[in-house]
Amino acid sequence: MSETDSQALQDPHARPPGDLAIWIFICAELLVFAVFFASYAFTRAAHVELFNEWQLTLNRDYALINTLALITSSYFVVRAIAAVREGRQQPALRWLLGALAMGALFLIVKSMEYAEHYSHGINLRSNLFFMFYFSLTFFHFMHVLMGMVILGVNAAILRRGGYTAENHRGMETGGSYWHMVDMVWLILFPLVYVMR
Amino acid sequence: MSEGFPMIRPCTRVYLLLMVLTFFTWLVGVSGMSGFGISMLVLGLSLLKGQLIGDYYMGLKRVTSFWRWVIVIWLLLPGSLIGLAFYLTYS
Repeated sequence: MSETDSQALQDPHARPPGDLAIWIFICAELLVFAVFFASYAFTRAAHVELFNEWQLTLNRDYALINTLALITSSYFVVRAIAAVREGRQQPALRWLLGALAMGALFLIVKSMEYAEHYSHGINLRSNLFFMFYFSLTFFHFMHVLMGMVILGVNAAILRRGGYTAENHRGMETGGSYWHMVDMVWLILFPLVYVMR
Repeated sequence: MSEGFPMIRPCTRVYLLLMVLTFFTWLVGVSGMSGFGISMLVLGLSLLKGQLIGDYYMGLKRVTSFWRWVIVIWLLLPGSLIGLAFYLTYS
Protein backbone atom coordinates (compact mmCIF):
# COMPACT_ATOMS: atom_id res chain seq x y z
CA MET A 1 0.00 0.00 0.00
CA SER A 2 2.67 2.49 0.91
CA GLU A 3 5.42 3.44 -1.44
CA THR A 4 8.58 3.65 0.58
CA ASP A 5 11.37 2.59 -1.71
CA SER A 6 12.74 0.09 0.79
CA GLN A 7 9.48 -1.86 0.44
CA ALA A 8 9.39 -1.78 -3.33
CA LEU A 9 10.73 -5.30 -3.82
CA GLN A 10 8.26 -8.03 -4.66
CA ASP A 11 7.60 -10.79 -2.18
CA PRO A 12 6.02 -13.61 -4.21
CA HIS A 13 4.47 -15.12 -1.08
CA ALA A 14 3.05 -11.93 0.39
CA ARG A 15 -0.69 -11.45 0.73
CA PRO A 16 -2.33 -8.24 -0.46
CA PRO A 17 -2.67 -5.46 2.14
CA GLY A 18 -5.60 -5.69 4.54
CA ASP A 19 -7.89 -8.55 5.49
CA LEU A 20 -8.39 -11.39 3.03
CA ALA A 21 -12.17 -10.95 3.44
CA ILE A 22 -12.08 -7.45 1.94
CA TRP A 23 -10.32 -8.84 -1.14
CA ILE A 24 -13.04 -11.43 -1.65
CA PHE A 25 -15.57 -8.62 -1.27
CA ILE A 26 -13.60 -6.45 -3.72
CA CYS A 27 -13.62 -9.29 -6.31
CA ALA A 28 -17.40 -9.62 -5.97
CA GLU A 29 -17.88 -5.87 -6.35
CA LEU A 30 -15.60 -5.70 -9.38
CA LEU A 31 -17.56 -8.50 -11.04
CA VAL A 32 -20.84 -6.61 -10.57
CA PHE A 33 -19.36 -3.44 -12.06
CA ALA A 34 -17.91 -5.45 -14.98
CA VAL A 35 -21.40 -6.75 -15.80
CA PHE A 36 -22.77 -3.20 -15.54
CA PHE A 37 -20.09 -1.83 -17.90
CA ALA A 38 -20.60 -4.59 -20.47
CA SER A 39 -24.38 -4.11 -20.31
CA TYR A 40 -23.99 -0.39 -20.92
CA ALA A 41 -21.61 -0.94 -23.87
CA PHE A 42 -23.77 -3.54 -25.64
CA THR A 43 -27.00 -1.62 -25.05
CA ARG A 44 -25.27 1.44 -26.45
CA ALA A 45 -24.24 -0.57 -29.52
CA ALA A 46 -27.93 -1.20 -30.20
CA HIS A 47 -28.94 2.46 -29.60
CA VAL A 48 -25.91 4.46 -30.70
CA GLU A 49 -27.72 7.61 -31.80
CA LEU A 50 -29.74 7.87 -28.59
CA PHE A 51 -26.68 7.32 -26.38
CA ASN A 52 -24.52 9.78 -28.36
CA GLU A 53 -27.24 12.45 -28.32
CA TRP A 54 -27.87 12.33 -24.58
CA GLN A 55 -24.22 11.81 -23.63
CA LEU A 56 -23.59 15.32 -24.93
CA THR A 57 -25.90 16.73 -22.23
CA LEU A 58 -23.62 15.45 -19.44
CA ASN A 59 -21.32 17.91 -17.69
CA ARG A 60 -17.74 16.72 -18.35
CA ASP A 61 -16.27 19.42 -16.13
CA TYR A 62 -18.05 17.93 -13.13
CA ALA A 63 -16.77 14.51 -14.20
CA LEU A 64 -13.20 15.86 -14.41
CA ILE A 65 -13.43 17.41 -10.92
CA ASN A 66 -14.79 14.15 -9.54
CA THR A 67 -12.09 12.05 -11.19
CA LEU A 68 -9.35 14.30 -9.85
CA ALA A 69 -11.00 14.23 -6.40
CA LEU A 70 -11.01 10.43 -6.29
CA ILE A 71 -7.46 10.09 -7.61
CA THR A 72 -6.28 12.64 -5.05
CA SER A 73 -8.14 10.93 -2.23
CA SER A 74 -6.57 7.59 -3.18
CA TYR A 75 -3.16 9.24 -3.15
CA PHE A 76 -3.87 10.69 0.29
CA VAL A 77 -4.83 7.23 1.59
CA VAL A 78 -1.53 5.81 0.28
CA ARG A 79 0.35 8.60 2.10
CA ALA A 80 -1.68 8.02 5.29
CA ILE A 81 -0.76 4.33 5.36
CA ALA A 82 2.87 5.11 4.53
CA ALA A 83 2.95 7.58 7.44
CA VAL A 84 1.45 5.14 9.95
CA ARG A 85 3.91 2.47 8.81
CA GLU A 86 6.65 4.91 9.66
CA GLY A 87 5.08 5.45 13.10
CA ARG A 88 3.91 9.00 12.33
CA GLN A 89 0.28 8.95 13.49
CA GLN A 90 -0.45 12.69 13.33
CA PRO A 91 0.58 13.13 9.67
CA ALA A 92 -1.29 9.91 8.90
CA LEU A 93 -4.47 11.36 10.41
CA ARG A 94 -4.07 14.56 8.38
CA TRP A 95 -3.68 12.56 5.14
CA LEU A 96 -6.72 10.47 6.01
CA LEU A 97 -8.84 13.55 6.76
CA GLY A 98 -7.68 14.98 3.43
CA ALA A 99 -8.87 11.80 1.70
CA LEU A 100 -12.25 12.13 3.42
CA ALA A 101 -12.50 15.76 2.28
CA MET A 102 -11.86 14.69 -1.32
CA GLY A 103 -14.53 12.00 -0.97
CA ALA A 104 -16.95 14.63 0.33
CA LEU A 105 -16.10 16.86 -2.65
CA PHE A 106 -16.99 13.98 -4.97
CA LEU A 107 -20.37 13.49 -3.28
CA ILE A 108 -21.16 17.23 -3.38
CA VAL A 109 -20.27 17.61 -7.07
CA LYS A 110 -22.17 14.45 -8.01
CA SER A 111 -25.21 15.66 -6.05
CA MET A 112 -25.04 19.00 -7.90
CA GLU A 113 -24.97 17.10 -11.18
CA TYR A 114 -28.01 15.02 -10.18
CA ALA A 115 -29.84 18.19 -9.06
CA GLU A 116 -29.22 19.83 -12.45
CA HIS A 117 -30.59 16.79 -14.26
CA TYR A 118 -33.70 16.72 -12.10
CA SER A 119 -34.24 20.48 -12.55
CA HIS A 120 -34.35 19.80 -16.31
CA GLY A 121 -36.90 17.05 -15.80
CA ILE A 122 -34.38 14.28 -16.47
CA ASN A 123 -34.60 11.18 -14.33
CA LEU A 124 -34.10 7.42 -14.36
CA ARG A 125 -37.16 6.91 -16.60
CA SER A 126 -36.33 9.61 -19.17
CA ASN A 127 -34.70 7.21 -21.63
CA LEU A 128 -32.41 4.17 -21.87
CA PHE A 129 -29.23 6.24 -21.66
CA PHE A 130 -30.27 7.95 -18.44
CA MET A 131 -31.51 4.67 -17.00
CA PHE A 132 -27.92 3.39 -17.30
CA TYR A 133 -26.38 6.73 -16.33
CA PHE A 134 -28.32 7.05 -13.07
CA SER A 135 -28.07 3.35 -12.20
CA LEU A 136 -24.33 3.13 -12.78
CA THR A 137 -23.33 6.43 -11.20
CA PHE A 138 -25.67 6.11 -8.21
CA PHE A 139 -24.46 2.57 -7.54
CA HIS A 140 -20.93 3.96 -7.55
CA PHE A 141 -22.06 6.96 -5.44
CA MET A 142 -23.23 4.54 -2.74
CA HIS A 143 -19.84 2.83 -2.82
CA VAL A 144 -18.11 6.17 -2.28
CA LEU A 145 -20.43 6.79 0.68
CA MET A 146 -19.62 3.35 2.09
CA GLY A 147 -15.91 3.93 1.57
CA MET A 148 -16.11 7.22 3.43
CA VAL A 149 -17.77 5.51 6.39
CA ILE A 150 -14.92 2.96 6.46
CA LEU A 151 -12.24 5.68 6.18
CA GLY A 152 -14.07 7.66 8.89
CA VAL A 153 -13.89 4.66 11.23
CA ASN A 154 -10.18 4.28 10.32
CA ALA A 155 -9.61 7.97 11.17
CA ALA A 156 -11.41 7.64 14.53
CA ILE A 157 -9.32 4.59 15.49
CA LEU A 158 -6.14 6.32 14.33
CA ARG A 159 -7.00 9.42 16.40
CA ARG A 160 -7.30 7.24 19.51
CA GLY A 161 -3.88 5.76 18.79
CA GLY A 162 -5.32 2.43 17.69
CA TYR A 163 -3.00 2.06 14.70
CA THR A 164 0.76 1.74 15.04
CA ALA A 165 3.69 0.99 12.78
CA GLU A 166 3.28 -2.69 13.69
CA ASN A 167 -0.52 -2.91 13.70
CA HIS A 168 -2.42 -1.06 10.97
CA ARG A 169 -4.20 -3.81 9.08
CA GLY A 170 -7.55 -2.06 9.51
CA MET A 171 -6.24 0.96 7.66
CA GLU A 172 -4.93 -1.24 4.86
CA THR A 173 -8.33 -2.92 4.63
CA GLY A 174 -10.14 0.42 4.35
CA GLY A 175 -7.54 1.68 1.89
CA SER A 176 -7.91 -1.34 -0.39
CA TYR A 177 -11.68 -0.83 -0.57
CA TRP A 178 -11.23 2.88 -1.30
CA HIS A 179 -8.77 2.18 -4.13
CA MET A 180 -11.29 -0.26 -5.65
CA VAL A 181 -13.92 2.52 -5.65
CA ASP A 182 -11.40 4.81 -7.38
CA MET A 183 -10.45 2.14 -9.94
CA VAL A 184 -14.08 1.55 -10.92
CA TRP A 185 -14.62 5.28 -11.50
CA LEU A 186 -11.56 5.41 -13.76
CA ILE A 187 -13.42 3.10 -16.18
CA LEU A 188 -16.86 4.60 -15.60
CA PHE A 189 -15.74 8.17 -16.39
CA PRO A 190 -14.53 7.59 -19.97
CA LEU A 191 -17.21 5.00 -20.74
CA VAL A 192 -20.19 7.18 -19.80
CA TYR A 193 -18.85 10.71 -20.31
CA VAL A 194 -16.26 10.54 -23.11
CA MET A 195 -16.31 7.50 -25.42
CA ARG A 196 -18.61 7.94 -28.41
CA MET B 1 25.41 14.73 -5.35
CA SER B 2 21.77 13.75 -5.04
CA GLU B 3 21.43 14.73 -1.37
CA GLY B 4 20.21 18.19 -2.29
CA PHE B 5 17.27 16.80 -4.25
CA PRO B 6 14.31 15.47 -2.29
CA MET B 7 13.33 12.02 -3.56
CA ILE B 8 9.91 11.83 -5.12
CA ARG B 9 8.02 8.78 -3.90
CA PRO B 10 6.86 6.34 -6.60
CA CYS B 11 3.25 6.90 -5.50
CA THR B 12 3.67 10.64 -6.15
CA ARG B 13 5.00 9.98 -9.65
CA VAL B 14 2.04 7.67 -10.30
CA TYR B 15 -0.34 10.34 -8.94
CA LEU B 16 1.03 12.95 -11.34
CA LEU B 17 0.77 10.50 -14.26
CA LEU B 18 -2.84 9.69 -13.33
CA MET B 19 -3.65 13.42 -13.28
CA VAL B 20 -2.11 13.97 -16.73
CA LEU B 21 -3.94 10.98 -18.25
CA THR B 22 -7.20 12.18 -16.71
CA PHE B 23 -6.78 15.65 -18.25
CA PHE B 24 -6.13 14.00 -21.62
CA THR B 25 -9.34 11.95 -21.32
CA TRP B 26 -11.30 15.07 -20.39
CA LEU B 27 -9.79 16.97 -23.34
CA VAL B 28 -10.94 14.23 -25.71
CA GLY B 29 -14.41 14.55 -24.22
CA VAL B 30 -14.76 18.33 -24.45
CA SER B 31 -13.17 18.48 -27.92
CA GLY B 32 -15.95 16.24 -29.22
CA MET B 33 -13.59 13.71 -30.77
CA SER B 34 -15.33 10.44 -31.59
CA GLY B 35 -14.75 7.20 -33.44
CA PHE B 36 -13.45 3.70 -32.78
CA GLY B 37 -9.77 4.63 -32.69
CA ILE B 38 -10.01 7.48 -30.21
CA SER B 39 -12.48 5.51 -28.06
CA MET B 40 -10.06 2.59 -27.86
CA LEU B 41 -7.19 4.96 -27.02
CA VAL B 42 -9.20 6.46 -24.16
CA LEU B 43 -10.27 2.99 -22.99
CA GLY B 44 -6.67 1.73 -23.13
CA LEU B 45 -5.41 4.66 -21.07
CA SER B 46 -8.16 4.03 -18.52
CA LEU B 47 -7.16 0.38 -18.21
CA LEU B 48 -3.56 1.52 -17.73
CA LYS B 49 -4.71 3.89 -14.98
CA GLY B 50 -6.54 1.01 -13.32
CA GLN B 51 -3.41 -1.13 -13.44
CA LEU B 52 -1.36 1.69 -11.91
CA ILE B 53 -3.88 1.94 -9.04
CA GLY B 54 -3.64 -1.83 -8.52
CA ASP B 55 0.15 -2.00 -8.68
CA TYR B 56 1.16 1.13 -6.79
CA TYR B 57 -1.82 2.16 -4.62
CA MET B 58 -3.24 -1.24 -3.71
CA GLY B 59 0.34 -2.50 -3.41
CA LEU B 60 -0.19 -5.55 -5.63
CA LYS B 61 3.16 -5.14 -7.35
CA ARG B 62 4.83 -6.49 -4.23
CA VAL B 63 2.57 -9.44 -3.45
CA THR B 64 1.88 -12.89 -4.85
CA SER B 65 1.09 -12.66 -8.55
CA PHE B 66 -2.38 -14.24 -8.10
CA TRP B 67 -3.86 -11.00 -6.76
CA ARG B 68 -2.21 -8.94 -9.44
CA TRP B 69 -3.76 -11.21 -12.06
CA VAL B 70 -7.18 -10.75 -10.47
CA ILE B 71 -6.95 -7.04 -11.22
CA VAL B 72 -5.42 -7.59 -14.68
CA ILE B 73 -8.21 -9.99 -15.62
CA TRP B 74 -10.86 -7.65 -14.21
CA LEU B 75 -9.50 -4.79 -16.30
CA LEU B 76 -9.23 -6.95 -19.44
CA LEU B 77 -12.67 -8.55 -19.08
CA PRO B 78 -14.87 -5.43 -19.22
CA GLY B 79 -12.21 -3.73 -21.35
CA SER B 80 -12.51 -6.44 -24.04
CA LEU B 81 -16.30 -6.48 -23.89
CA ILE B 82 -16.49 -2.69 -24.16
CA GLY B 83 -14.02 -2.82 -27.06
CA LEU B 84 -16.10 -5.50 -28.79
CA ALA B 85 -19.30 -3.49 -28.31
CA PHE B 86 -17.69 -0.38 -29.81
CA TYR B 87 -16.26 -2.47 -32.66
CA LEU B 88 -19.76 -3.76 -33.45
CA THR B 89 -20.98 -0.15 -33.42
CA TYR B 90 -18.47 0.99 -36.03
CA SER B 91 -18.27 -2.18 -38.15
